Amino acid sequence: MATDLRISNISKIYPGCIANDNVSLQFKSGKIYALLGENGAGKSTLVKILSGVISPDNGEVFLNEKNLKLSSPLDAKKNKIGMVFQHFNLFETLSVFENLSIDATEDNKSLRVRINEILKKYNFSIDLDVPVLNLSAGQKQKVEIIRCLLRSPKVLIMDEPTSVLTEQETEELFISLKKFCDEGILIIYITHKLKEVLSLCDEVAVMRKGKVVSVSQTQNERVETLANKMVGQKLAKIKKKINISKNKDEIFKVKHLNFYSDDPFETNLVNLNFSVKKGECLGIAGISGNGQNELFQILSGEIITPDTSIIFRNKEIAKLNPKQRREYLMAFSPEDRISQAAVPELKIYENVALNNFKSSNFFEKGLVNEKKIKDHSKKILSDFSVNTDNVELKSQFLSGGNLQKLILGRELITAPELLICYNPTWGLDVGAINYIHETLIKINDQEKSTILISTDTEELLKLSDRIAVIYKGKLSKIMPSEEVTPEKLGVLMGGGSID
Amino acid sequence: MIKIEKRNDVPMALYFFTPFIAIILTILGGGIIFYILGFNPIEALKFYFITPISNLYGFSELLLKATPLCLIAIGLSFCFKSNNWNIGAEGQLTFGAIVGGGVALLFYNQEGFYILPLVIIAGAIGGMIFALIPAILKTYFNTNEILVSLMLVYVSKLLLDYLVVGPWSNPEGFNFPETRQFSNSSRMPLLFEGLRIHAGIFLALAAVMLSWFVLYKTYLGFQIKVSGLSLKTAKYAGFKGKTMILVVFMISGACAGLAGVGEITGPIGQLHRMISPDYGFTAIIVAFLGRLNPFGIIFASLVVALTYLGAETAQIFLQIPKYTGQVFQGMILFFLLASDYLLFFKVKILNLKKNELRY
Repeated sequence: MATDLRISNISKIYPGCIANDNVSLQFKSGKIYALLGENGAGKSTLVKILSGVISPDNGEVFLNEKNLKLSSPLDAKKNKIGMVFQHFNLFETLSVFENLSIDATEDNKSLRVRINEILKKYNFSIDLDVPVLNLSAGQKQKVEIIRCLLRSPKVLIMDEPTSVLTEQETEELFISLKKFCDEGILIIYITHKLKEVLSLCDEVAVMRKGKVVSVSQTQNERVETLANKMVGQKLAKIKKKINISKNKDEIFKVKHLNFYSDDPFETNLVNLNFSVKKGECLGIAGISGNGQNELFQILSGEIITPDTSIIFRNKEIAKLNPKQRREYLMAFSPEDRISQAAVPELKIYENVALNNFKSSNFFEKGLVNEKKIKDHSKKILSDFSVNTDNVELKSQFLSGGNLQKLILGRELITAPELLICYNPTWGLDVGAINYIHETLIKINDQEKSTILISTDTEELLKLSDRIAVIYKGKLSKIMPSEEVTPEKLGVLMGGGSID
Repeated sequence: MIKIEKRNDVPMALYFFTPFIAIILTILGGGIIFYILGFNPIEALKFYFITPISNLYGFSELLLKATPLCLIAIGLSFCFKSNNWNIGAEGQLTFGAIVGGGVALLFYNQEGFYILPLVIIAGAIGGMIFALIPAILKTYFNTNEILVSLMLVYVSKLLLDYLVVGPWSNPEGFNFPETRQFSNSSRMPLLFEGLRIHAGIFLALAAVMLSWFVLYKTYLGFQIKVSGLSLKTAKYAGFKGKTMILVVFMISGACAGLAGVGEITGPIGQLHRMISPDYGFTAIIVAFLGRLNPFGIIFASLVVALTYLGAETAQIFLQIPKYTGQVFQGMILFFLLASDYLLFFKVKILNLKKNELRY
């Protein structure tokens, strides 16, 4: 039976922001629909309304012309709307089967039979009796999908499903989604990745600032047209000029980097060796959780490992703490903006003072030089186009993009010889991403080096001169980026090997 | 179903206003307790909060009791602001009093202007050393500073007990558990004839000014602030975490030691078993009531000191045990924590039927 989902004049207003402004959309089964938009465009709000997590201030949802009252997630379930969130709702220490049986209404025996039927039908290979923590992200996602399928859904909503997947896993997911679609399940696919929209979806609705700005057939769209609709302005194309760095000096060299941890949630690093040349960007790719956190902290000096040698500008710095490393002109931009790189409760100028280096004189003879810090902060705010000039503002009032600009500005204003950044554009909108990318390219143009640890392959291919992949704490061989394709990266990131 | 959510933006003004709400609620709560006990609540509260400070002597007593509370709380604010939970200020006070008192006893039959400063410095160092024990154990052996500092309180109290009944007991004291009287040169100068308020109050005021300066104007203060908000950030910024832990414990211990010395060289004049009515523990309430802010702590120490005085007056006039003072102190903390909770979180009541609670 065909399914028809209609959203009519939905509005949701939060204090200070209109998350959904009179949104009306229509979906019919047999097609895959994309919901595209930047961070904060209102996609998530709309999805939460459809899944009953929040209720709209105004407007209605109709499923096959029946007006739905979605006041809790259970209502969504009852009406056969299934939802796979970006962050999994699974109990890591329970087995796959236990996770699936938690909210099942039938007895274990018949449940197992049904699960096995689904596994067979869609060619999923998952051992039902291993604990979920042993599964890869892609497998966990499959468990979530199976959970939805068990309720024979009419609508399946996928929220940014590929953000944690390798290229291979993404392809598998797409195949499954197309299969579901053929079976009459209506699929709504939420993303901000343009290429996925084009390769997977039939119809695309673009949202911007809470409104639906366009609904179109994907066959009539290209990456550029979609990007323009999403951002609402012509995007300047960034092209990195190939850096001819064959004969340049090695400015940074890591030897025998090993890290062993007793903590099962940390990844051990096994004998990493690499070097960075002057003016070069070394990209380190990998799915998150393969040792990037630990690697970043060792490179920044937060973790000191014995027997490791780190040479920076001909000096051994392996035993120095982050502050001392900064004195040698290194700079660090961690992944976690909110609880590591900056403190939201602190004012902007106080966050700037975190990067305290010798020549800054932020603190003279142990005293705070507030004027100097504030002058410096003002310069950062204007040089890095942060959208405020009030250095007394608490950082929590900055958007993600502006906070990242502030952090990057703070790190770069010391004119470091090497910047190490970890997922610098994570969770940002296209405008901010472009700005950060331009900035990173500029650094290389000025003969300064960067190490870019990132889980975004597109970003890595765009910015890096050479790329290596980290997988389970081991580093692949380092390849010139001209030789690297997304497919190759995907294979390495998924633990495979290339000739 | 009840859902509790964090508030995003808490107004600063309200943050400093809630302690007053807590105090008002405490007074109301106290009135209810008095009523249940069969007293006229208005009259009882008058005995508690007004009679004690209705004359000059009472006011001097208020300042006398507020002095150690303020000093200790100032020290604790360094620890608490940087996420170090020093619960053992009472022990540091006692140990400071032992060391300072020991020096005073050395000079029991001598006079000299240099004696009092020596005694004070010895007391501060004593408190500092005692506070270093949990700090070193925390930094180098990963122990929990709450447990260690708390248990050390009993160590120092038993040590004091042993000293005043044993080696240090007054040879002419008919076996009373107390030491000799200190010489006049070891005593804090009195500020006014006939009142017990002594020069120790200047130590407390100096501590307030100094702590304000250190917390808000120095690199150390900045490091303390950042570490208190996010240890991850402190690590990332390259602050020397271990050194900082040692320093804040030393500051805190020194302040508690000073408070101990102030008591024995001020109103008491010798060492005996009961040198502190749990000032070290009560100061924890003072520190939080004062929002860990130096000037807030002055105010809070006066309020909490009043509960000590009120309890004594109530014991005399109403024949209720003076331990009601602790009830009031407990209520202040309770209402402060409760109003803070409502300040930082909002409670939402969701309309759900019973069977829908499963999700």
